[in-house]
This record gives sequence, structure tokens and C-alpha cells, in this order.
Amino acid sequence: MEKLESLETESSMLMAKRPYLRKEIQLLEQFAAIMSSESSSTVARVLKPTILILIAVVAISSRLFSIIRFESVIHEFDPWFNYRTTQHLVKNGFYDFWNWFDEKSWYPLGRVVGGTVYPGIMVTSALIHNVLHFFNFPVDIRNVCVFLAPMFSGLTAFSAYLLTKELKDSSAGLLAAAFLGVAPGYISRSVAGSYDNEGIAIFLLVFTFYLWIKAVKTGSAFFGLLTALFYFYMVSAWGGYVFITNLVPLHAFTLLLMGRFSNRLYVSYSTFYAVGTLLSMQIPFVGFQPTRTSEHMAALGVFGLLQLYAFAELVRGYIPPKQFKALLKGGIAAVVIIASVGLTILSFSGVIAPFTGRFYSLYDTGYAKIHIPIIASVSEHQPTAWTSFFFDLQMLIFLFPAGVYLCFKELKDEHVFIILYSVFASYFAGVMVRLMLTLTPVVCVSAAIAYSTLLDTYLETSEHVLASTKPAIAVTPATPAVIEAPTAATSETKVAGKKAAAKAAAAAAASAAAAAKSTEADAKAHAKATADGEKKRFPIFNLDSRMLVILQLTWFLFMFAWHCTYVTSGSYSSPSIVLASRQQDGSQMIIDDFREAYYWLRKNTKEDAKVMSWWDYGYQMAGMANVTTLVDNNTWNNTHIATVGKAMSTSEEVSYKVLRQHDVDYVLILFGGVIGYSGDDINKFLWMIRIAEGVYPSDVKETNFFTPRGEYKVDHDATKTMRDSLMYKMSYYRFAELYGGGNAVDHVRNARMPSEGPTLSVLEEAYTTENWLVRIYKVKDLDNLGRDLKDSTAFDKGRVRKVSSLKKK
Amino acid sequence: MGRQGLENILFFTVTLALVTLLIASFTPSFANAQTTEELIAKKVSRLNAKASMSKGIIELDSLAFDDVLAKPRNYSMVVLFTAISPEFQCVPCKNFDPEYRLVAAGWSRIPDKSQIFFGILDFKAGQSVFQKFNMNSAPSLLYFPASDFSESFDRYDFGKSGFQAESLANWINVRSGLKIEVKRPFDFLAFSLKIMGAAGSLGLAHFLYSRGGKVIRSKYLWASVSLFLIFIFISGHMWNQIRHPPYSMPSRDGRPGFIAPGFQNQFGLETQIIAITYAVLCGGVISLMSSIPRIESPSKQRLAVMVWMSVTSIMYSVLMFFFRAKNPSYPFRLLF
Repeated sequence: MEKLESLETESSMLMAKRPYLRKEIQLLEQFAAIMSSESSSTVARVLKPTILILIAVVAISSRLFSIIRFESVIHEFDPWFNYRTTQHLVKNGFYDFWNWFDEKSWYPLGRVVGGTVYPGIMVTSALIHNVLHFFNFPVDIRNVCVFLAPMFSGLTAFSAYLLTKELKDSSAGLLAAAFLGVAPGYISRSVAGSYDNEGIAIFLLVFTFYLWIKAVKTGSAFFGLLTALFYFYMVSAWGGYVFITNLVPLHAFTLLLMGRFSNRLYVSYSTFYAVGTLLSMQIPFVGFQPTRTSEHMAALGVFGLLQLYAFAELVRGYIPPKQFKALLKGGIAAVVIIASVGLTILSFSGVIAPFTGRFYSLYDTGYAKIHIPIIASVSEHQPTAWTSFFFDLQMLIFLFPAGVYLCFKELKDEHVFIILYSVFASYFAGVMVRLMLTLTPVVCVSAAIAYSTLLDTYLETSEHVLASTKPAIAVTPATPAVIEAPTAATSETKVAGKKAAAKAAAAAAASAAAAAKSTEADAKAHAKATADGEKKRFPIFNLDSRMLVILQLTWFLFMFAWHCTYVTSGSYSSPSIVLASRQQDGSQMIIDDFREAYYWLRKNTKEDAKVMSWWDYGYQMAGMANVTTLVDNNTWNNTHIATVGKAMSTSEEVSYKVLRQHDVDYVLILFGGVIGYSGDDINKFLWMIRIAEGVYPSDVKETNFFTPRGEYKVDHDATKTMRDSLMYKMSYYRFAELYGGGNAVDHVRNARMPSEGPTLSVLEEAYTTENWLVRIYKVKDLDNLGRDLKDSTAFDKGRVRKVSSLKKK
Repeated sequence: MGRQGLENILFFTVTLALVTLLIASFTPSFANAQTTEELIAKKVSRLNAKASMSKGIIELDSLAFDDVLAKPRNYSMVVLFTAISPEFQCVPCKNFDPEYRLVAAGWSRIPDKSQIFFGILDFKAGQSVFQKFNMNSAPSLLYFPASDFSESFDRYDFGKSGFQAESLANWINVRSGLKIEVKRPFDFLAFSLKIMGAAGSLGLAHFLYSRGGKVIRSKYLWASVSLFLIFIFISGHMWNQIRHPPYSMPSRDGRPGFIAPGFQNQFGLETQIIAITYAVLCGGVISLMSSIPRIESPSKQRLAVMVWMSVTSIMYSVLMFFFRAKNPSYPFRLLF
């Protein structure tokens, strides 16, 4: 108990400390911005890695709230499956994992695990585990899994630095790294213990994009190959790889439309596509999708287009222009006809699969609501309200468009990429809350560009102002023009540079503007070529204006850091399998009912017991209770889920048949009525009904669960169908007894329950946890005397068989 | 087992005896029964005539409603409860009406249409029926299966199934087993408009391209399009597209009327205000970055910095204020 308390105080101390730590780092960054990245002074050379390391430390440590408050435990639902498979991988080796047929899930169907998972995250942690053990660090696999996402967040910050450095400079890169390190939009999926695909996938996403930009910039097949390799890693880790598969071709296509086809683009895209696609097909779960499904067609199409374009460019060199024109026209017509005929034939003959449901729901926003209740029921698939954007990104959300504007001003190949990324990621994040995750990196990068430009403008000393008028880069008085000039400038500007240098060296800040003016005329031609007629710029003359802006910006940064800490600590750090609540005296109460129930199942049921529950708890049950489950979080078989929904929402007689048919031994439900836990099964019940109705419309009717006034009620007004449903009975069985017969109140729905609770005849209560959060029921065997279970229960209770039941027979 | 068998036989004999007695004593009742069948047949032919007159739709009032649904009947009935008159301002009623008529028309193309009929009951004509069914919203759609005695009916869920004729036809098919083909009439106006629109945009594109493509290639055009898109996406426009919230609501308990209660809820006007706030903030940042360094006079520059900086801080405070209105426990504020 004492230990726990000391842990508590420690955590609160850490919480108190952390904002200051972050402030320091941000101050350091500004310092670095002042130092200006382009200067190669030793100070900057030492500072940059130090800052990056500190950013990584902050990124990791701000993800540890849950560990400090609770313990090192795997969170939520999906991570439990990943954890279970990782354990299997570590224990039995890779080949066994690859061929693993898991008979404990999706009973009675079973699941081929190797072919139905993205194995990236499991292989990564198994690798880390094995390497550590090779060096004799006996780290438990659970701790590797728990700390994987925070560790990768450090790497993500580093890749954001690299990406932004390609777009602007390294000071903007440092800012981007700091932003991405603490942005709640990314933390939401990568706190310690949330062992999910996204934890490593965001790093891979950002790093792949960095490599792609590098490849386009340099035109090197080497970087194209690296892009493909990391793309492969991404494909193995997360279904969101489709975002890369579409964004990179879109970038290439846009460059083509802008008339920016270059051999660099050709080399990098061809390398990336050929190698990346071949590699991605090695993942069994992906298989032949890259050649068949529509999601991947854009990439293939752009690949073909680039080949044709390159070929046309080649031919142009050998043929006179007039003939080439005719040839080009004929060629385009032929290609269009062949392509459209081919596509039609292929899609009608079924070789090319139609769009998959999840994908469809991204474009046609009404689609999921009508056709796929399973997709609509997942809260991650809900659209995003504006509050969520602000909650996850705060200040960055309005710096982000400013950064996009700056990208338009520069508009090199890599900036086109960021613009496309921004627009599309904003759209997808708006449609689906979950895709906030793909938006966050580009917001951080783009906001960092804007913020760092602001700092440049208001912090730079006069010579940097001159530097910012492009052609006059060489005019910094401190460094002789001759050294830097030859690479970029012509001899004309060299003269101009020298002239300006002589002037500027003599003059103070104000006269620097005049110097800039004098170079203006010579620089004009270059200015046009480089920055689309950039007008002349002046320094910020007054110190007070500078101070005002800088102080204000710094204050914004402080608020951002506070906001991030607040959001992370308050909203994104609860493991959701252990709940914490405050008691009236302010002390913390830990509610550990889930694990209590799962361990009860583990210790008290036979090894092959089949436990039915709603799909949300499937992974946790498999992972913690080691029992066989009917449905889990990844069940695609709609009928199977609907069957479970039917068993939950029909009367005892109907559902007993379903239970017997599926060999169910136990039924597990969540009930939050006692402590007011709103995510319980009665609140999810409508989705069960809806999904069941989709498959069994004659057995389940949603309207029957609503009162004539269209309300969803559980108290006295509840409809007969509601009161007869198995879920209702299981939830409120003996609930009134808890209150001594009267005034039973359901704290979630604020409903006063009838004092006479429901009776159960085909199930018996097996276990109910401390706070009634989890209730487990055992399915009764058939009656020994061949009686109806209802009759036998009544008989056991000593009630006389009613005459009415006799008459019916 | 034996006792039950005996009971059954007893029951059977008694019933038989009673029935014989009935037939023997009230032979005219046979004729009566026949007239009920005839009545049904008559009613069906009447309904058929009505339905064929107005493309499968039967307009009902309270009296007709009771008459049509009187038992026994050998046909199913779909009744749309609606409030089409303009004083009710029922927009969904108006939207759904043509879709419903499409379904009815689809059914009326079938030669034998006496299995199911489609009725419309307007609130004006049948207030008492509305009250009887406890209806407090329109449109509502009920399906009454063909039966002799049961009172049961099904309610069509607009929220789940939507307002489309096809989904309604499907819904009826699930319940009655009757296949209704919905054929949308070819909309020449929409088609010609589309053709004209396509031709117009093609022409515009050609015109713009022929002018050296200056407009299309202008990065300012593309920049403003992209920024506009980003602003509406990040201010929750897609949420509005999917959830169709009201534009705004009269204010209650002192909260401004355009802010929806609840963190995961929003009004149309609210998102527009947020989008504008973002745009102003972003504009402030952009002018601080690129406009202010272009100002030559130091005093003017100072003034501009002051103005833009205060605009930025005030708008940021406004944004935080809105956010606190949605999430009262949010602890941070800038100016107010």
C-alpha cells in the first residue's frame, strides 16, 4: 500500500516536472533557430543531435503516464491479440507462427493466423526481444511489447526532422520533430502499452515519405530501393499502407501534369513501384491484391503512364517533330482504347475485385451506414467533429494551412508532395476519426515550416534578411562572397555580391536594406527564375515589434506543450482494462474487474471451454483467459457476429438453441449499471440487434426494442421483447437484490429498475466481479428428465407448474 | 400421454358438435360468410380501381383508413403517414413523397396488384389516426400484413434504411415476399443539364487552356482551392455531410445558439464560424510571415505588426473560448 502511494507521488511529481522539461526543449529549439541551421558552427553541430535526443526522450516519457499510474500492462482490445501472437512467435519460432492455425478463435471455424495478420509489429518485437536476449538482457516479451510504441515515437520524431529538413531547413526540422513527438493526435495511438500496428506504422509512413522525397530529389535508384524496402515494412505492419500506395503515384502523376517529368522521377518511381509491389505481395494477407483490387490500380496506372511518357520522350529524340506528333496522337488513342476495353473486360470477368467495403465507406459517406452496420458500429470509423481536430492538434491546426501556403510559394517537387498529402489527409481525417493519425505528421511538418519561417523573419539579424532575397545568398558580409558564390551565382551576381558586400560591411542594419535595393536590379532575373517574382523584403525594423511577435509565439508554444500534456495525461493514457476513478474523499479507486473476470475464467473453466461474448472482448478473453471465443475484434464473418447478436437479443428459448448449436459453455457480458460504466453491453445492445437483424430479420426486429414513443428504455417502460432478451436478463439478473428489493437504480441509464428482476432458466450465474462490471453465466446442460429447462428451473424453485403450461400441451 | 389423447378427442367431438349445431340452426349465416368474402372482393376491386387511377397510390382519410384496414382482409397494406401541406414545413415528408410514389408505381405495373396496396394518409385528413397510433413525427411508414385477426404492424425506420425508394422496396420485400421493381423515370432535365454542364466545363477548360493556360497554371488559384478545402475539412465539414446536423438552434440556458451541446456534436453554422476563425488565424500568420517584411516604413510596419498580432491573439482566444464551451473542463485560456 505504501509502495503504491509512493508510486503515486512519484507520478504526480513527474507530471509536474514534465511541462518544464518540454519548455526547456522548446527554448533550446528557438535557440537553435537563432543559430540558423545553415551556419556550420560547432555549437549548432553539437546542439542538433542533443536536441533531437531530448525530443526523443520527451516523446517517450510523455507516453509513460499509464505505466506510472497503473502498471506495465497491454491496453485495450486489439493489442491483446498482437501480444498473444507475439508470444506465440517468440515461443515457437517464425515458421510455426507463419503456419499457425488458431483453433481457439472464431469457434467453430478457427483462424489461419499467418494469413490474416499484418505480421510487422510481431516480428519487430520478437526481433528486439531476441537481440536483447542474445546480448544477455533478459527482458520479458511483455515489456518489449509495452514499450515498443513509445520507442518508435522517438524514431518518428527523427524522421519528421529528416523530412522537414528536405523541405526547408534543419531548424524547421527540429520544430517538426518536437511537434510530432508530443502531438496528441499521434500519442493517442502510441502510449506505452498500446501495442498496435499504428505504433510502428506512423514511423514507417513518415520515413517512407522522407525516402521518397529524397529519391525524387536525387533521382537515385538507391533511394528508390530504400523507399520500396520501407514500403514493404509498412505493408507488413498496417493496412494503412494503401495511403502510400495512392499518395506516391498521385504525386508522380501531378508532377507529370505540371510538366515536371524528369529522369529523376522516372528512376525513383519505377524502382519504388517494381520492387515495392513485388515485396508487398510476399505478405500472405496482401497476396495478389496489388494486381487486382482497385485501391492499387492508381499505382499501376501511373507506372504504365510513366513508361509510356518516357518512351515517347525517347522517340521524340529520333523522329522529326511532325511525324512525332502524328505518332503521338495515334499512340495515345490506341493506349486509351486498349486500356478502357481491357479494364472493362477484367472488372466484368471478376479478375479485378470491386472496391472493398471499408474503402468504399471512405468515399461514399452514406454507404457504410446503410450497407454495413459492422463498420458503422465501430467508433473509430465515425466522422470527426471539429473539436477532435483542435483537441488533437491545438495550435498546429491553424499553422498547418499557413505551412501549406509556404509550400505553394516554394513549389518544388517535394512541396507538391506535401500539398497533396495535406489536402487528402485532411479529407480522410474528416471522414474517419482514426485517420487523424495519418494527418498528424503532415500537420506537424507543415506547421513547423510556418513556425520556423515566422521565427526566421522576426529573429534574423539584418544579414539574414539579405540572405532571404534569394539571389543575394552570397552577400553575407561575414563570409566572403567568392567562396559561396561560384556554385550558385553567375559572374554577374558575383560582382553585384562584392559590391553589396562592400556596402553592407560598412553599413548598419538600416543601410542593409539599401544594399538589398542596389542588388535588386541585378537579382531580378534570378528572382523570377527562383521565386516567381519575389518582391523585395525588409528586416523588421523595430525591436519592440520583434519582441512582441516572438514573445507571443513563445507563449503559444508553452500553451501547446501544456495542452499536449493535459490531453495525453487525461484522455489518452488509460489502459481501459484497468479503470481508475476518484472517490468522494479524493483518493483513487482502481477498478480491476476485467482482469478479475478473465483470471476467474482462466482458473475455473476447463481448458477447451467456449465462451460467448460480444466481439469487443474476444481478443482480451483469448489473451488473458486463454479460452475459446466465438467472435473477436477481427471477425469478418458477418453471419457469425450476427449469430452471436441473435443469441443475445432473442428470448431464452430461441437463444438456448443457438448456444447449444455452438457448444457455448459460458456467456460473458459487461454491465456498468452498478458503478456507472457507460461502455457496457446494454449500451452496445442496439448494435447487436441491428447486426443480428441484418441476417435474421425474422427473429430480431429493432423496432420491438423501442417503446411506442420510440425510446430505448430498460426500466418499467421497457418493451416485452427487451425484457425477454437474454442480454437484458443477464444484465439485470439479481440486480434488484443488490438494493434490498427496492429502488434499484441503473447508474448508466439513470433508470429506476423494477423491484422484481428477471428470471433465468437456461443459464445460471457463474461469477460476478467485485463491481458487477463483468458477469459470467454458465449455460445449463439439457435436463436429465427431458423437461423444458424453464419447467425444471421452476420445479427446482419449488413452484407448482402452472396449469396454463399444461393446457398448451 | 393417454390422458392428453383423451382430452384431445373430447375437445374435437365437442367442437364438431357445436359446429354442426351452428350450421344446422343458422344456415343463413353461411350466406353471411359468403358476403364477407364478397365484401372483401368488392373492396379489393374498389381499391384496385382507385390505385390504378393514381399510379398505385390510394389517398386516405380517417374513415377510409379504418375501412381499408378493417379485418378480415386478404391484402397487405403500406401506409405513409405524412404532412405534406406547406404549413407543417416537413422537409423530409416532401423529400420522401416522390420516392414512395415510385415504389407504388413500380408495384402498379404488375398485372395482379391486389396483394398489397399503398396508401397515403395526410395529417390534415386523418388527425385521429395519427393520435391512435401515437405518432408524433412525420413521415412515418407502417406495414400492415394481410391477416384476419392480428393487429401487428411494422414501422419503417428512416434513420436506418434511408429515404431511397429501393431500400423501401427491399424492406417490403423482406416482410411480404413481394418483389417490387423500382424504375426511376428518366430525368431528361437533369440529363440535359449534366450534358450542358459537362460541355460547359469542357469549353471553359479549353478556353482557359487556350489563353496560355495561365489561369489553370496559376499557383494562386490552386493554393486558394487547396487552402479552402483544408479549412472546410479541418472544421468538421465531413461530419456535417455524414450526420446532417441542423444549421443552428435557438439558444437555451445562456449558451449561444450556434454552438451545439456536447463534445462530439456540432451545428452547421458552428463549423462555418470555426472555419472562418481558422482562416483569419492562418491569414494572420501568413501576413506576419510575408506581408509585414514588405512594408518599407518602420512606423507603418510596427503598426501592422501590432494589428496582426492582436488579431491573431484575439482569434486564438475566441477559438479557445468556443472549445471551452464544448468541453467545459478544458483548463487553458489565452485572453478570455
